Amino acid sequence: MTNIDIEARRLLPLPPAVLHILITLGEGAKHGYAVMQEVADRTGGEVRMSPGTLYGSIRKMLEDGLIEESFHRGGDDERRRYYRLTRFGRAVAAAEAERLAALLHHARLNGLVPRRS
Amino acid sequence: MRRGPHLFRLVLRLFPAPFRDRFGDDMEAAYRQARADAAGLGRRDLLQFWAGVAFDALLRAPGEHMRMTVHDLRYAARALRHAPTYTLVAIATLALGIGANTAIFSIVHAVALQPLPSRDPSRLVRIWEKNDSLRIPQFSASIPNYLSWRERARSFDSIGGWRQNSATLTTGGDPQRLTRLEATASVFPLLGIQPLAGRPFTAGEDRPGAARVALLAESVWRTRFGARADVVGSSVALDGVPHTVIGLVRDREMVVRFDVIVPLAADAARESRSNHVFTAIGRLRDGVTLRQAQQEMDAISVQLGRDYPADDQGWGVTMATFYDWIVPAQVRNSLYVLLACVGLVLLIACTNLANLMLARTAVNRREQAVRLALGASRARVVRETLTESVLVAVAGGGAGVLLAAWTIPVFRAQLTAVLPRADGIALSTPVLLFAGAVSVLTGVLFGALPAYFNSRRAIVDALKDGGRTGAAQHGRARHALVVAELALATIVLAAAALLLESFVRLQKVDLGFQPARLTTAMLGLPPARYPDHAAGWGFYSRTLQALAASPGVEAAALSSGAPLGGGNTSLGMRAVGASALGTQELQADWRMVSADYFRTMGIPLLRGRPFDDGDREGGQTAIILSQDMARRFWPNDDPIGRSITSGNGKLTMTVVGVAGDVRNLNQAIDPRPTLYISTSQFLFPVMTFVVRTQGDQPIAGVIRKTVDAVDPQLAVFNVRTFDTLLETNVAQPRVTAWLFGMFAVLALALAAIGVYGVLACLVAQRTREIGVRLALGAPPSTVRRLVVAHSLRLSVTGIAIGAAAALAVGPALQSQLFAITPRDPLTLAGVCAGLLGLALMASYVPSRRATRVDPLAALRAE
Repeated sequence: MTNIDIEARRLLPLPPAVLHILITLGEGAKHGYAVMQEVADRTGGEVRMSPGTLYGSIRKMLEDGLIEESFHRGGDDERRRYYRLTRFGRAVAAAEAERLAALLHHARLNGLVPRRS
Repeated sequence: MRRGPHLFRLVLRLFPAPFRDRFGDDMEAAYRQARADAAGLGRRDLLQFWAGVAFDALLRAPGEHMRMTVHDLRYAARALRHAPTYTLVAIATLALGIGANTAIFSIVHAVALQPLPSRDPSRLVRIWEKNDSLRIPQFSASIPNYLSWRERARSFDSIGGWRQNSATLTTGGDPQRLTRLEATASVFPLLGIQPLAGRPFTAGEDRPGAARVALLAESVWRTRFGARADVVGSSVALDGVPHTVIGLVRDREMVVRFDVIVPLAADAARESRSNHVFTAIGRLRDGVTLRQAQQEMDAISVQLGRDYPADDQGWGVTMATFYDWIVPAQVRNSLYVLLACVGLVLLIACTNLANLMLARTAVNRREQAVRLALGASRARVVRETLTESVLVAVAGGGAGVLLAAWTIPVFRAQLTAVLPRADGIALSTPVLLFAGAVSVLTGVLFGALPAYFNSRRAIVDALKDGGRTGAAQHGRARHALVVAELALATIVLAAAALLLESFVRLQKVDLGFQPARLTTAMLGLPPARYPDHAAGWGFYSRTLQALAASPGVEAAALSSGAPLGGGNTSLGMRAVGASALGTQELQADWRMVSADYFRTMGIPLLRGRPFDDGDREGGQTAIILSQDMARRFWPNDDPIGRSITSGNGKLTMTVVGVAGDVRNLNQAIDPRPTLYISTSQFLFPVMTFVVRTQGDQPIAGVIRKTVDAVDPQLAVFNVRTFDTLLETNVAQPRVTAWLFGMFAVLALALAAIGVYGVLACLVAQRTREIGVRLALGAPPSTVRRLVVAHSLRLSVTGIAIGAAAALAVGPALQSQLFAITPRDPLTLAGVCAGLLGLALMASYVPSRRATRVDPLAALRAE
């Protein structure tokens, strides 16, 4: 296990909003509203982030080094800030995904979740 | 539709400014897009959308504020750790300032602000009698008058009161003199008193001939009876008469000090309308104002004056709320003046700290300029600066609370006998909240100016010219602060000097008698065993003879009230025959004294003779007048042989002597007209022995033994030397003068530090100029004069402003001063000269440093 992985595990478990943002930015740099839209679409409208929640999370993730501001500018609005994952952010997302996968595996073993056929 | 973005911007304002600066545009863009997507929603869904936006902001914004505050606190703590000297000096200064304010506020809160313990105290009133023509603004009531008010007045739900005297308790130990209140049954519901145990007495028990019952004070129950549960229901003997204890009352619930309460059982036929001994209280009926009640009582007084002209003509009624009675305006004002003074000291400390902080920001200017140039918002910089100052202030406040916790028990012990309700002085929750609020306010106050300077965009431009412009502006601000500091210090010092001078004059005042080596002791004779004057005088004369013959005793005498002993007896008197006052009454204090009283007290007998064996009970009533009283009646004639009658004409007395004037009540009150009657003709229920010893040895034991030898069932009480009495009387002015003196010393020290700091800074800033002058051959004295002249300019300006302010606010101190006016020119001149001298002393080191500037080094630094 590398140092990055050790540091990443220190941030677990992640708040749900942070994990959703990390997953969304896994595809590439996006601006805030795009993240909000994709999270809503991916969860079928179950998770709708308000601007306060989104940007509060972004502020924390910037401080923790999970994401950074990207200088990519999309065509829809030149003035918007775009964010992308850092290497550390990827490691944290991966660690959280592993943790959740391990939980799911044990839940399946105990019959709480149907096993995959 | 257009309201939407405007509303969202309002919601955004919930977030901290730096957060808004960073993410506000993006959040607004995200909102616009979300709002556009929701364009087709119905009204209900739109409301839901807005509720979601607002709820999200309300949920998130406090967290952002908290996070920012924690960050700023960490940043401030780090900055303070790198400036340990500044931090320690600041915290120590604030600890003194905030600690002093907290301690003084604890006194103000306990005495003036705490609600009274009685039920709904705003409706309770104290009722006095008054007589404008005799210049008596407030006097106790007579019991018959109280009974008449109870019968005739409609403004009160209930009216009652008590008569205070003393009684000897002989149950449960050695005879002990107790303060007894003979109270009406209505007092308990009036004051909302719930006995700690047992019950109050009923109206049926408050009648002549009813069974004798008593309620003990909790303190007596604990100290005398060891808190025994079986005391209630037991019998105790008061003045030899058995009383059944029916209950216990908490000491604080009665508004006056007491040891035992018994029913008044008033018999109107046996009480005199001219005998003013009753403390009357009432509870106003709902909807009746004090003014309306006063009007009704005025009308009743007129009726009583008509019905009983000999006793009540000219007598009226005056009332005040309980609060105004228990905490008189004079006491409140003196406390508020004290609080204002200690507030000024804190303000001086703030000014000093602002100066210190400005000096630090001058050093950190480059760092701030870089931050502002790189886009840090002004609000952010202001927030950081204020966080640092508030952190220092809260740390200083915490240390100040510890200091206050240490001093508060001292204040309580010193002031309990001096101020009403001072036994409640404590570090209570309101006092702690006050300390917290003052700490935060102090931090904001002294951080405000440095925050302003730190955040100005001009700081960036100022650095382009080597920082000279910024430094000059800083310098002007610091000079203004020092001028303000000196002005405030002048006000505090002027107040302290006046109070100190007043206290000194009070101590030197001529009392009219010789207080050295004098001891007093009080005694009351139980009526059951001493039913008449002959029995009482038999006891007293034997005891006096034995006392006078005791070893170590120079002289012994008796009085119905020794000077400074507290309490007073007075009566309206009228001359018989021609006098300067004609038929007009003169309110005069009266005392019953033994023949040796004047010799024992050292009161000069100016004319006539002292009392002697010829003045017997039943014979012509001989009196000795004070010089003032004799002059008022007969300014140009010999008063010896003249006659005076009491106001109701019942007693005619003949003047046999004139004695010197005596300050009977306390040192601050001028001697009042006084009339002395011989104890061989009249006695008072409680008398005071006055004994002058040959040396300074304590005499209490001898007095007790002598009384015991004559009657072992009697208890002597309130045994005090006159030194103690004098000290008690000046306790409040002493404490006030001492406190103001301490604040003055603090103010002086802070002002000296402030002047020194600013001059040191001046020398540092003008090092190059000084170097050039010295290099060009200017003598060191020129440089020294430069610094001293600067100091003088600041000091004279500050002191002049302070002196003007002291003259303006001086009258607020009038009620605290004795024999000196608040605008006393000598005192003020002394204070100004003293401060000027201090400022010059504070400039000594900086001026010497200026003369030692190395011209070459100064020029090379360019």
